[in-house]
Amino acid sequence: MKDIVRTWLESGRIDLFLGYRLVDGHPIPHCFSKERLEEVEQLTESLARYPLEKIAHQMLQKDPAVRIGLMARDCTQRSVRVLAAWNQIDMDRIRVLTMSCCPSDAKDKAFCSYLQEPETGPVRKSNGMPSTGDPDDCRVLPAEERLRRWLYEFQKCIKCYGCRDICPVCFCKDCGLEHEDLMDKGVVPPEVPLFHLIRAVHMAGRCVDCGLCEEACPVGIPLRLLYRKVNGIVTDRFGYRVGQTKDQSPFNVLGEFSPLELSSLDD
Amino acid sequence: MDCRLVPSVCSYCGTGCGVLFSVIDGTLVGTYPIKTHPVNEGSLCIKGWNLHEHITSPKRLRNPMIRRNGQLQPVSWDEAIQEAASRLRTVVEEHGPDSVGVLTSAKITNEENYLAQKLARTVIGTNNVDHCARL
Repeated sequence: MKDIVRTWLESGRIDLFLGYRLVDGHPIPHCFSKERLEEVEQLTESLARYPLEKIAHQMLQKDPAVRIGLMARDCTQRSVRVLAAWNQIDMDRIRVLTMSCCPSDAKDKAFCSYLQEPETGPVRKSNGMPSTGDPDDCRVLPAEERLRRWLYEFQKCIKCYGCRDICPVCFCKDCGLEHEDLMDKGVVPPEVPLFHLIRAVHMAGRCVDCGLCEEACPVGIPLRLLYRKVNGIVTDRFGYRVGQTKDQSPFNVLGEFSPLELSSLDD
Repeated sequence: MDCRLVPSVCSYCGTGCGVLFSVIDGTLVGTYPIKTHPVNEGSLCIKGWNLHEHITSPKRLRNPMIRRNGQLQPVSWDEAIQEAASRLRTVVEEHGPDSVGVLTSAKITNEENYLAQKLARTVIGTNNVDHCARL
Protein backbone atom coordinates (compact mmCIF):
# COMPACT_ATOMS: atom_id res chain seq x y z
CA MET A 1 0.00 0.00 0.00
CA LYS A 2 2.82 2.40 0.90
CA ASP A 3 4.48 1.63 -2.43
CA ILE A 4 1.30 2.46 -4.36
CA VAL A 5 0.89 5.78 -2.57
CA ARG A 6 4.54 6.63 -3.10
CA THR A 7 4.25 5.79 -6.80
CA TRP A 8 1.08 7.85 -7.20
CA LEU A 9 2.64 10.87 -5.51
CA GLU A 10 5.97 10.58 -7.32
CA SER A 11 4.41 10.15 -10.75
CA GLY A 12 2.13 13.13 -10.18
CA ARG A 13 -1.08 11.13 -10.63
CA ILE A 14 -2.22 12.71 -7.39
CA ASP A 15 -1.04 15.84 -5.55
CA LEU A 16 -2.08 14.78 -2.07
CA PHE A 17 -3.09 11.55 -0.34
CA LEU A 18 -5.44 11.36 2.61
CA GLY A 19 -4.67 8.37 4.80
CA TYR A 20 -3.86 7.63 8.41
CA ARG A 21 -0.75 7.67 10.54
CA LEU A 22 -0.18 6.98 14.21
CA VAL A 23 0.18 10.04 16.45
CA ASP A 24 0.99 9.06 20.05
CA GLY A 25 -0.60 5.69 19.39
CA HIS A 26 -3.79 7.11 17.90
CA PRO A 27 -4.63 6.64 14.23
CA ILE A 28 -5.12 10.19 12.95
CA PRO A 29 -5.95 11.23 9.39
CA HIS A 30 -2.94 12.70 7.62
CA CYS A 31 -2.42 14.40 4.30
CA PHE A 32 0.62 12.91 2.54
CA SER A 33 2.32 14.94 -0.17
CA LYS A 34 5.11 14.70 -2.73
CA GLU A 35 7.12 17.29 -0.83
CA ARG A 36 7.20 15.07 2.26
CA LEU A 37 7.48 11.64 0.63
CA GLU A 38 9.38 10.20 3.59
CA GLU A 39 6.19 10.43 5.64
CA VAL A 40 4.55 7.74 3.50
CA GLU A 41 6.55 5.24 5.56
CA GLN A 42 4.19 6.11 8.47
CA LEU A 43 1.03 5.36 6.47
CA THR A 44 -1.16 2.92 8.35
CA GLU A 45 -4.58 1.30 8.23
CA SER A 46 -6.94 2.41 10.93
CA LEU A 47 -9.72 0.74 12.84
CA ALA A 48 -11.08 4.17 13.73
CA ARG A 49 -12.95 5.84 10.90
CA TYR A 50 -12.92 9.53 9.96
CA PRO A 51 -14.86 11.09 7.06
CA LEU A 52 -11.82 11.50 4.78
CA GLU A 53 -14.10 12.21 1.81
CA LYS A 54 -15.58 15.15 3.72
CA ILE A 55 -12.06 16.57 4.21
CA ALA A 56 -11.36 15.95 0.50
CA HIS A 57 -14.60 17.77 -0.34
CA GLN A 58 -13.44 20.79 1.69
CA MET A 59 -10.06 20.71 -0.07
CA LEU A 60 -11.72 20.62 -3.48
CA GLN A 61 -13.90 23.57 -2.53
CA LYS A 62 -10.74 25.58 -1.85
CA ASP A 63 -8.91 24.37 -4.94
CA PRO A 64 -10.98 22.51 -7.57
CA ALA A 65 -7.82 21.62 -9.50
CA VAL A 66 -6.13 19.57 -6.78
CA ARG A 67 -5.99 15.80 -7.28
CA ILE A 68 -6.54 13.80 -4.13
CA GLY A 69 -5.92 10.18 -3.30
CA LEU A 70 -8.11 8.64 -0.63
CA MET A 71 -7.66 5.64 1.58
CA ALA A 72 -11.15 4.30 1.11
CA ARG A 73 -13.37 1.74 2.70
CA ASP A 74 -16.51 0.51 0.91
CA CYS A 75 -18.56 3.21 2.67
CA THR A 76 -16.04 5.90 1.60
CA GLN A 77 -16.38 4.81 -2.01
CA ARG A 78 -20.17 4.94 -1.80
CA SER A 79 -20.12 8.47 -0.42
CA VAL A 80 -17.61 9.59 -3.08
CA ARG A 81 -20.13 8.38 -5.68
CA VAL A 82 -22.98 10.20 -3.92
CA LEU A 83 -20.97 13.43 -3.65
CA ALA A 84 -20.16 13.17 -7.37
CA ALA A 85 -23.80 12.49 -8.25
CA TRP A 86 -24.78 15.66 -6.38
CA ASN A 87 -22.08 17.67 -8.19
CA GLN A 88 -20.12 18.25 -5.00
CA ILE A 89 -16.88 16.71 -6.24
CA ASP A 90 -15.38 15.91 -9.59
CA MET A 91 -14.70 12.15 -9.82
CA ASP A 92 -11.66 12.85 -11.99
CA ARG A 93 -10.05 14.64 -9.04
CA ILE A 94 -10.38 11.67 -6.69
CA ARG A 95 -8.43 8.43 -6.83
CA VAL A 96 -9.29 5.81 -4.25
CA LEU A 97 -7.04 3.22 -2.71
CA THR A 98 -9.23 0.43 -1.40
CA MET A 99 -8.57 -0.79 2.11
CA SER A 100 -9.91 -3.94 3.64
CA CYS A 101 -13.00 -3.24 5.71
CA CYS A 102 -16.00 -5.54 5.57
CA PRO A 103 -14.90 -8.94 6.90
CA SER A 104 -14.54 -12.02 4.75
CA ASP A 105 -12.83 -15.38 5.04
CA ALA A 106 -10.93 -14.44 1.91
CA LYS A 107 -9.22 -11.55 3.70
CA ASP A 108 -6.51 -11.53 6.34
CA LYS A 109 -7.97 -8.70 8.32
CA ALA A 110 -10.80 -6.19 8.18
CA PHE A 111 -10.47 -2.62 9.46
CA CYS A 112 -13.73 -1.11 10.66
CA SER A 113 -14.72 0.15 14.09
CA TYR A 114 -18.26 -0.99 13.35
CA LEU A 115 -17.22 -4.61 13.71
CA GLN A 116 -17.03 -4.18 17.47
CA GLU A 117 -20.12 -5.39 19.32
CA PRO A 118 -22.23 -2.48 20.64
CA GLU A 119 -22.68 -2.29 24.39
CA THR A 120 -26.28 -2.46 25.51
CA GLY A 121 -27.33 -1.93 29.13
CA PRO A 122 -30.60 -3.03 30.78
CA VAL A 123 -32.32 0.38 30.37
CA ARG A 124 -31.59 0.46 26.65
CA LYS A 125 -32.85 -3.10 26.32
CA SER A 126 -36.22 -2.34 27.93
CA ASN A 127 -36.75 1.18 26.49
CA GLY A 128 -34.64 1.53 23.38
CA MET A 129 -34.58 0.10 19.90
CA PRO A 130 -32.81 -3.20 19.21
CA SER A 131 -29.10 -2.57 18.72
CA THR A 132 -28.61 -5.00 15.86
CA GLY A 133 -29.13 -2.23 13.29
CA ASP A 134 -31.52 -4.41 11.26
CA PRO A 135 -34.94 -2.82 10.56
CA ASP A 136 -36.47 -6.31 10.36
CA ASP A 137 -35.57 -6.92 14.01
CA CYS A 138 -37.80 -3.98 14.97
CA ARG A 139 -40.80 -5.26 13.10
CA VAL A 140 -41.35 -8.02 15.64
CA LEU A 141 -42.40 -5.27 18.08
CA PRO A 142 -45.99 -3.95 17.87
CA ALA A 143 -46.32 -0.50 16.25
CA GLU A 144 -47.15 1.32 19.54
CA GLU A 145 -44.18 -0.29 21.22
CA ARG A 146 -41.91 0.75 18.36
CA LEU A 147 -43.19 4.33 18.56
CA ARG A 148 -42.62 4.42 22.33
CA ARG A 149 -39.10 3.13 21.91
CA TRP A 150 -38.25 5.56 19.10
CA LEU A 151 -39.55 8.47 21.16
CA TYR A 152 -37.39 7.28 24.06
CA GLU A 153 -34.37 7.30 21.76
CA PHE A 154 -35.14 10.77 20.32
CA GLN A 155 -35.70 12.49 23.67
CA LYS A 156 -32.12 11.60 24.67
CA CYS A 157 -30.80 13.97 21.98
CA ILE A 158 -28.54 16.80 23.25
CA LYS A 159 -28.66 18.54 19.87
CA CYS A 160 -24.91 18.46 19.27
CA TYR A 161 -25.47 18.20 15.50
CA GLY A 162 -22.68 15.61 15.50
CA CYS A 163 -24.70 13.30 13.23
CA ARG A 164 -24.88 16.04 10.63
CA ASP A 165 -21.37 17.38 11.14
CA ILE A 166 -19.66 14.02 10.69
CA CYS A 167 -21.92 12.88 7.83
CA PRO A 168 -19.84 12.58 4.63
CA VAL A 169 -22.88 13.30 2.44
CA CYS A 170 -24.24 16.29 4.41
CA PHE A 171 -23.08 19.26 2.34
CA CYS A 172 -26.00 21.74 2.22
CA LYS A 173 -25.04 25.35 2.93
CA ASP A 174 -28.41 26.02 4.56
CA CYS A 175 -29.41 23.21 6.87
CA GLY A 176 -33.10 22.62 7.67
CA LEU A 177 -32.10 21.58 11.18
CA GLU A 178 -30.90 25.13 11.85
CA HIS A 179 -33.75 26.90 10.11
CA GLU A 180 -35.70 29.12 12.50
CA ASP A 181 -39.05 28.31 10.90
CA LEU A 182 -38.53 24.61 11.47
CA MET A 183 -36.54 24.38 14.68
CA ASP A 184 -36.64 26.37 17.91
CA LYS A 185 -33.27 27.65 19.05
CA GLY A 186 -31.86 26.81 22.48
CA VAL A 187 -34.24 23.96 23.31
CA VAL A 188 -32.99 20.55 24.42
CA PRO A 189 -34.08 18.00 23.46
CA PRO A 190 -35.00 19.37 20.04
CA GLU A 191 -38.60 18.87 19.09
CA VAL A 192 -39.40 15.14 19.32
CA PRO A 193 -39.61 13.51 16.82
CA LEU A 194 -39.47 16.32 14.24
CA PHE A 195 -35.73 17.01 14.47
CA HIS A 196 -34.75 13.43 13.70
CA LEU A 197 -37.47 12.92 11.14
CA ILE A 198 -36.33 15.99 9.18
CA ARG A 199 -32.87 14.52 9.04
CA ALA A 200 -34.22 11.07 8.22
CA VAL A 201 -36.18 12.45 5.24
CA HIS A 202 -33.06 14.20 3.96
CA MET A 203 -31.06 10.99 4.34
CA ALA A 204 -33.52 9.02 2.22
CA GLY A 205 -31.80 8.27 -1.07
CA ARG A 206 -28.57 9.84 0.15
CA CYS A 207 -27.37 7.91 3.23
CA VAL A 208 -24.47 5.60 2.39
CA ASP A 209 -24.95 3.52 5.54
CA CYS A 210 -21.47 4.19 6.90
CA GLY A 211 -22.72 4.47 10.48
CA LEU A 212 -20.44 7.42 11.38
CA CYS A 213 -23.49 9.33 12.73
CA GLU A 214 -24.31 6.57 15.15
CA GLU A 215 -20.68 6.33 16.23
CA ALA A 216 -20.52 10.09 16.85
CA CYS A 217 -23.80 10.26 18.78
CA PRO A 218 -22.96 10.94 22.44
CA VAL A 219 -26.27 9.48 23.64
CA GLY A 220 -26.37 6.41 21.41
CA ILE A 221 -29.44 7.06 19.25
CA PRO A 222 -29.63 4.23 16.66
CA LEU A 223 -29.47 6.62 13.72
CA ARG A 224 -28.07 4.06 11.32
CA LEU A 225 -31.14 1.90 11.90
CA LEU A 226 -33.43 4.87 11.20
CA TYR A 227 -31.69 5.80 7.95
CA ARG A 228 -31.53 2.15 6.87
CA LYS A 229 -35.28 2.08 7.22
CA VAL A 230 -35.87 5.19 5.07
CA ASN A 231 -33.29 4.08 2.52
CA GLY A 232 -34.99 0.69 2.36
CA ILE A 233 -38.21 2.44 1.36
CA VAL A 234 -36.40 4.35 -1.42
CA THR A 235 -34.93 1.09 -2.71
CA ASP A 236 -38.28 -0.74 -2.55
CA ARG A 237 -40.38 1.98 -4.17
CA PHE A 238 -37.92 3.45 -6.67
CA GLY A 239 -35.36 0.70 -7.14
CA TYR A 240 -32.63 3.22 -6.27
CA ARG A 241 -29.55 1.98 -4.42
CA VAL A 242 -27.44 4.73 -2.86
CA GLY A 243 -23.81 4.79 -3.90
CA GLN A 244 -24.22 2.15 -6.61
CA THR A 245 -25.01 4.55 -9.44
CA LYS A 246 -23.94 7.92 -10.80
CA ASP A 247 -27.55 9.14 -10.86
CA GLN A 248 -29.07 11.42 -8.27
CA SER A 249 -31.77 9.91 -6.09
CA PRO A 250 -35.44 10.03 -7.19
CA PHE A 251 -35.94 12.49 -4.34
CA ASN A 252 -34.11 15.17 -6.31
CA VAL A 253 -37.38 16.72 -7.49
CA LEU A 254 -36.44 20.14 -6.17
CA GLY A 255 -33.42 20.63 -8.38
CA GLU A 256 -31.86 24.04 -7.83
CA PHE A 257 -34.95 25.34 -6.07
CA SER A 258 -34.96 25.38 -2.27
CA PRO A 259 -38.24 26.18 -0.48
CA LEU A 260 -36.24 27.19 2.61
CA GLU A 261 -35.23 30.47 0.97
CA LEU A 262 -38.84 31.69 0.78
CA SER A 263 -38.79 33.01 4.34
CA SER A 264 -36.25 35.69 3.45
CA LEU A 265 -38.84 37.33 1.17
CA ASP A 266 -40.79 38.36 4.27
CA ASP A 267 -37.82 40.21 5.83
CA MET B 1 -2.35 23.12 -1.22
CA ASP B 2 -1.49 22.44 2.39
CA CYS B 3 -3.87 20.32 4.46
CA ARG B 4 -3.09 19.43 8.05
CA LEU B 5 -5.07 17.50 10.64
CA VAL B 6 -4.01 18.67 14.07
CA PRO B 7 -4.95 16.76 17.23
CA SER B 8 -5.76 19.02 20.15
CA VAL B 9 -7.85 19.29 23.30
CA CYS B 10 -11.15 21.18 23.42
CA SER B 11 -10.71 24.52 25.14
CA TYR B 12 -14.30 25.00 26.26
CA CYS B 13 -14.61 23.08 29.55
CA GLY B 14 -12.55 20.96 31.89
CA THR B 15 -13.63 17.60 30.47
CA GLY B 16 -10.74 17.57 28.04
CA CYS B 17 -12.27 16.02 24.92
CA GLY B 18 -9.84 15.17 22.15
CA VAL B 19 -10.48 17.14 18.98
CA LEU B 20 -8.97 17.09 15.53
CA PHE B 21 -8.73 20.36 13.63
CA SER B 22 -8.65 20.30 9.87
CA VAL B 23 -6.52 23.16 8.62
CA ILE B 24 -6.48 23.92 4.90
CA ASP B 25 -3.94 26.48 3.68
CA GLY B 26 -3.52 27.84 7.20
CA THR B 27 -7.25 28.32 7.84
CA LEU B 28 -9.17 26.26 10.37
CA VAL B 29 -12.11 24.83 8.47
CA GLY B 30 -13.42 22.01 10.64
CA THR B 31 -13.38 20.18 13.96
CA TYR B 32 -13.84 16.44 14.44
CA PRO B 33 -13.83 14.34 17.60
CA ILE B 34 -10.80 12.07 18.02
CA LYS B 35 -12.30 8.61 17.67
CA THR B 36 -9.85 6.81 19.90
CA HIS B 37 -9.54 9.48 22.59
CA PRO B 38 -10.13 7.95 26.04
CA VAL B 39 -12.17 10.94 27.25
CA ASN B 40 -14.78 11.50 24.55
CA GLU B 41 -14.49 8.25 22.53
CA GLY B 42 -15.46 9.86 19.23
CA SER B 43 -18.21 12.19 20.43
CA LEU B 44 -18.41 15.92 21.09
CA CYS B 45 -20.99 18.40 22.33
CA ILE B 46 -22.24 21.22 20.15
CA LYS B 47 -19.55 23.59 21.43
CA GLY B 48 -16.74 21.21 20.61
CA TRP B 49 -18.07 20.57 17.11
CA ASN B 50 -17.94 24.31 16.39
CA LEU B 51 -14.53 25.09 17.94
CA HIS B 52 -13.12 26.22 14.60
CA GLU B 53 -15.73 28.96 14.27
CA HIS B 54 -14.58 31.16 17.13
CA ILE B 55 -11.06 31.40 15.73
CA THR B 56 -12.30 33.32 12.69
CA SER B 57 -15.40 34.89 14.26
CA PRO B 58 -15.71 38.65 13.70
CA LYS B 59 -16.99 38.84 17.29
CA ARG B 60 -13.70 37.50 18.64
CA LEU B 61 -12.07 39.77 21.23
CA ARG B 62 -8.55 40.41 19.97
CA ASN B 63 -7.16 42.79 22.57
CA PRO B 64 -8.04 44.12 26.04
CA MET B 65 -10.66 46.87 26.13
CA ILE B 66 -11.90 49.32 28.75
CA ARG B 67 -15.36 50.83 28.66
CA ARG B 68 -15.07 54.61 28.87
CA ASN B 69 -18.10 56.87 28.51
CA GLY B 70 -20.16 53.86 27.40
CA GLN B 71 -17.73 52.98 24.62
CA LEU B 72 -15.32 50.02 24.58
CA GLN B 73 -11.83 51.26 23.76
CA PRO B 74 -8.78 49.12 22.96
CA VAL B 75 -5.99 49.50 25.51
CA SER B 76 -2.67 47.85 26.35
CA TRP B 77 -2.49 44.84 28.68
CA ASP B 78 -0.65 46.93 31.31
CA GLU B 79 -3.36 49.54 31.25
CA ALA B 80 -6.15 46.94 31.46
CA ILE B 81 -4.56 45.12 34.41
CA GLN B 82 -3.87 48.41 36.18
CA GLU B 83 -7.49 49.47 35.68
CA ALA B 84 -8.84 46.13 36.97
CA ALA B 85 -6.53 46.24 40.02
CA SER B 86 -7.36 49.81 41.00
CA ARG B 87 -11.13 49.29 40.57
CA LEU B 88 -10.94 46.07 42.65
CA ARG B 89 -8.98 47.96 45.32
CA THR B 90 -11.67 50.66 45.40
CA VAL B 91 -14.42 48.05 45.81
CA VAL B 92 -12.52 46.30 48.64
CA GLU B 93 -11.82 49.60 50.43
CA GLU B 94 -15.40 50.83 50.16
CA HIS B 95 -17.36 47.63 50.74
CA GLY B 96 -14.92 45.17 52.39
CA PRO B 97 -13.13 42.11 51.01
CA ASP B 98 -16.24 39.89 51.10
CA SER B 99 -17.85 42.04 48.45
CA VAL B 100 -15.51 40.35 45.98
CA GLY B 101 -15.82 36.79 44.66
CA VAL B 102 -13.23 34.93 42.63
CA LEU B 103 -14.47 32.45 40.06
CA THR B 104 -11.75 30.18 38.75
CA SER B 105 -11.77 28.05 35.65
CA ALA B 106 -11.80 24.45 34.51
CA LYS B 107 -9.72 25.44 31.51
CA ILE B 108 -6.64 26.56 33.43
CA THR B 109 -4.12 24.38 35.24
CA ASN B 110 -4.31 23.24 38.87
CA GLU B 111 -1.40 25.55 39.62
CA GLU B 112 -3.19 28.55 38.13
CA ASN B 113 -6.33 27.68 40.10
CA TYR B 114 -4.18 27.51 43.23
CA LEU B 115 -2.73 30.94 42.50
CA ALA B 116 -6.21 32.36 41.92
CA GLN B 117 -7.52 31.20 45.31
CA LYS B 118 -4.26 32.37 46.94
CA LEU B 119 -4.84 35.82 45.44
CA ALA B 120 -8.43 35.77 46.72
CA ARG B 121 -7.55 34.73 50.29
CA THR B 122 -4.28 36.56 50.92
CA VAL B 123 -4.38 39.64 48.70
CA ILE B 124 -8.08 40.45 48.53
CA GLY B 125 -8.87 38.78 51.85
CA THR B 126 -12.00 36.76 51.06
CA ASN B 127 -12.97 33.09 51.08
CA ASN B 128 -15.49 33.68 48.28
CA VAL B 129 -13.84 31.29 45.85
CA ASP B 130 -15.77 29.15 43.42
CA HIS B 131 -15.31 27.36 40.16
CA CYS B 132 -16.99 27.55 36.77
CA ALA B 133 -17.78 23.84 36.80
CA ARG B 134 -20.26 24.51 39.66
CA LEU B 135 -22.07 27.39 37.97
